[in-house]
Amino acid sequence: MFDPQWLPTIMIFLPLLGSLLLFLAPNRWRDELAGFVAVLTLGLGLMIWYTGGSGLLGLNWIPALGITYSVELSGVSLALALVTAFMSFIAVLYAARRIPNPGTMLALILAMETGLLGIFAARDLILFYVFFEDALLPSLLMLAIYGKAHRMRALVKFAAYTLFGSLLMLVSIIGVRYLGGSPTFALVDLKQNLVTGPAQTWLYLGFLTAMAVKLPLWPLHAWLPDFHEQNHDSGVPDVMGTLYKVGGYGLFTFAIPLFPDASLELRPILMGLAAFTALYSAWVAFGQKDWKRLLAYAGLSHMGFVALGVFSLNETAVIGAMYLLAFQNLYTGALFLSVGMVQERIGSLDTRVGGLMTGAGALGGMTMALWFASIAVPGMAGFIGEFSVLLGAYQVSPWVAFAAGLTTIAAAAYALTAFQTTFWQARPLGGIAVRDLVHTEWLILGLPLVIAIFFGVYSAPALNLMQPAVKSVLAALGGS
Amino acid sequence: MLQAPDVALLPLLPILLVLAGALLSTLLGFWVSRRTLTVINIVTVILSGAGMIFLWNQGLSSFAGGLQADNAAILLGLTILVGTLMTLLVSLDTAWRARVSFPEFDAMLMYAVTGCLLIVFSGDLIVMLIGLEIMSLSGYVLATLQDSRRAEESGLKYFLLGAAGSAILIYGIAFVYGATGSLNYAAIAAKVGSVSNLTPENTGILVGGSLLLLAGFAFKIALVPFHQWTPDVYSGAPTTVSLFLSTVVKVAAFAGMLRVFGGALADAPGWAGVLQILTAATLIIGNTAALLQLNFKRMMAYSAVAHTGFLAMCLLGTQALGGAALGYYLLVYTLMTAAALAVVAALQRTETGFEINDMRGLYYRHPGYAIALSVCLASLAGLPPFAGFFGKYLAFQAAFQNGYVWLSVLAAVTSVAALVYYLRPAMLMFMPDRTPAKEYTRGERFPTTLTIGLGVAGVTVLGILPNVWYGWVANPAIWQLLAGR
Repeated sequence: MFDPQWLPTIMIFLPLLGSLLLFLAPNRWRDELAGFVAVLTLGLGLMIWYTGGSGLLGLNWIPALGITYSVELSGVSLALALVTAFMSFIAVLYAARRIPNPGTMLALILAMETGLLGIFAARDLILFYVFFEDALLPSLLMLAIYGKAHRMRALVKFAAYTLFGSLLMLVSIIGVRYLGGSPTFALVDLKQNLVTGPAQTWLYLGFLTAMAVKLPLWPLHAWLPDFHEQNHDSGVPDVMGTLYKVGGYGLFTFAIPLFPDASLELRPILMGLAAFTALYSAWVAFGQKDWKRLLAYAGLSHMGFVALGVFSLNETAVIGAMYLLAFQNLYTGALFLSVGMVQERIGSLDTRVGGLMTGAGALGGMTMALWFASIAVPGMAGFIGEFSVLLGAYQVSPWVAFAAGLTTIAAAAYALTAFQTTFWQARPLGGIAVRDLVHTEWLILGLPLVIAIFFGVYSAPALNLMQPAVKSVLAALGGS
Repeated sequence: MLQAPDVALLPLLPILLVLAGALLSTLLGFWVSRRTLTVINIVTVILSGAGMIFLWNQGLSSFAGGLQADNAAILLGLTILVGTLMTLLVSLDTAWRARVSFPEFDAMLMYAVTGCLLIVFSGDLIVMLIGLEIMSLSGYVLATLQDSRRAEESGLKYFLLGAAGSAILIYGIAFVYGATGSLNYAAIAAKVGSVSNLTPENTGILVGGSLLLLAGFAFKIALVPFHQWTPDVYSGAPTTVSLFLSTVVKVAAFAGMLRVFGGALADAPGWAGVLQILTAATLIIGNTAALLQLNFKRMMAYSAVAHTGFLAMCLLGTQALGGAALGYYLLVYTLMTAAALAVVAALQRTETGFEINDMRGLYYRHPGYAIALSVCLASLAGLPPFAGFFGKYLAFQAAFQNGYVWLSVLAAVTSVAALVYYLRPAMLMFMPDRTPAKEYTRGERFPTTLTIGLGVAGVTVLGILPNVWYGWVANPAIWQLLAGR
């Protein structure tokens, strides 16, 4: 048994290795190879969990510039990495089943998984930036290769928003180290050399722009609906896109420790923006006629909650936000796949198809259960997250919390309406027969659902994992 | 008393080797084929590189400091040789298609490289000027060499504007000489280092001289508003020549700027303020104009202008940081631009390059080249894990840490435009397409593939392990003695 410090590194780069191997492997083994790599990655993650976190590995990457290779998976980052590895596995499963000749797609999923795991493991700002952008390329390629007619616009919009934010973040990163006088970009060193005064606020704004794009937060969210709408019908790239919404995590891990004063100073404005995002996107979701767009806005609404929790800087709320961020990946991702299954059967993503329940009872039932998880019905993981966020945010700013709370009502409205018009109502005359779930489809929808229910009923393992990390981050704020 | 001139040939070795290649091409052209000459030239370039590595850390100089083979010269000289090597390799495959496959092409190319190396090794303004003129004159000929209206137009435009640029440069040299009484970098730096030594009239002349020099160099590196020739020349000349002009010649011009502004005039007043305005204008105009291009080769020309802006940010940094940043960025820039243009040279039907829309589905017809081109474009756009990202990062850092925060923010914002125009062709290549191929189908040949492989491998390795090259250029001592001793 070797040093657990190295486990995150292996876990990060294993999928990339797998994705390169896919190009060499014979065609008929590609599915199995991709699945094997994804399972192995997940297994490594579970092993890190079992050993109780990996500890920090710090190596000099570019000594002349003070850039280090620092990675660690523990606490919140480990939880998110586990969910990422799990959902990547589910995405591989469905891609192998749904997409003809899926080699390229599988390779892209695995390549993106590397970027995402790297984002969560990085404990050096430049390394974080590198992984942050690394995940962008595969997701752009998925859109370019498998996207729909208007994908170029969606693609340019997505990339331009992302880069706009992240390049400003890069300037901030340079500033954080230079103005603070830290010897390296490693988080531990930067924490010792904080920037103070108004410069901190400016640097925070640069960082915030990148994270707000990736949260996404109103008004930097416009890329999201187009991105999901133009992606492949199967919903596989959407699963990965959902995992790529790492803004909340970035703010939690880097922004709060590095810009404590600025976070407190801007708290009221940011909480307001977050609550507005949640409510506004729930409202917009209500009017959507395309399942992908509806799910995009629903996801955006959840992200408003995550942002509300993080910005409120309250312990309960931050734990709730991280809990929600981790577990919404499960049910939002699975919902994208269930929509993909509906599309496979009837060739449409319209929310007004009607009558699917008669032919595909199990698909309908699973989808409904996932929607319940999504709209925070008690007993599902989403409830614990949203409730904690509201509970914590209420202690900071009751009215903002109240406004955000309205979202849960709106969520029930948009979710159940769309579900009702698609699965119930009358089957249109001449509608084709609809096949129910077959083979791995049961697993693809079932596994995320089971986990969402498990952690909704018995949240202790996940909370125990996250709580110490959140406490230590918030301790930097000086006991607020 | 008559003094024997200080002539040491050892520091000249790399330049002499390249010059030997040029002379051989001129003479042997009567008896052997051009391909043989190109192979001979490739060998001389590699030998010259070996010579430079031999001279590493020796700090030799010749002609009483007129020519110095210090580490800075060697690092930039190696970058130039890498670009030359890539040009020569590509020309093996594409020169005959561009109808420039005769010995004079190689001869001119090698003369231009000789000039470039002279600039890099220069220790005073006259040597720099001679190098610059050799380089420019050969460049004019190269741009015109193809028998076509477009090439003639390109070459003439290049010549007329380049000549104006040179004239301004010479005028600037005269001013600087008038103000400081010396042409030697070190002597100028010593005079300028204590501006109080200069009487007030002299300071005015010095500022005027440095601004004229700046304008002259701005022509050569294509800083806005002196960039007007760039798109026409780069898109009018044969692609192999554009490759050469946008990499090797640009690296040499930047090396000259680094010598003059980072060394001789480092402490002179006035030019930094003007340079930051020009850089800002370059970033804005270069990136915006590239957004509007429909032809890929022309877009690459504007991208070269935009990259001038990013590279010029390094000149605004402190000597240690800025020099190291420039040293790293120039090599990366050479690798990615040369590899991208090599793909164009190989796959274009005519020397106008291809339209961006015609690149749709390229991945399904030429998977290797398409992936290589998209790697280069991603690197040009500054996306990690490719080396272009670290180049950009170093440029931002150099400007930021020397107080030009607004410039680094502006560069960040304009980089978004850069991403968009690099991304469109890169992504189009991966979009399935059913229309007939619009590119040359038999373009994949070994030397081009080697070039592209070199570029892509370089960009990837330097992106994942930047220390491979940055470790060499990072030593601040290299860049603090740019003017020589």
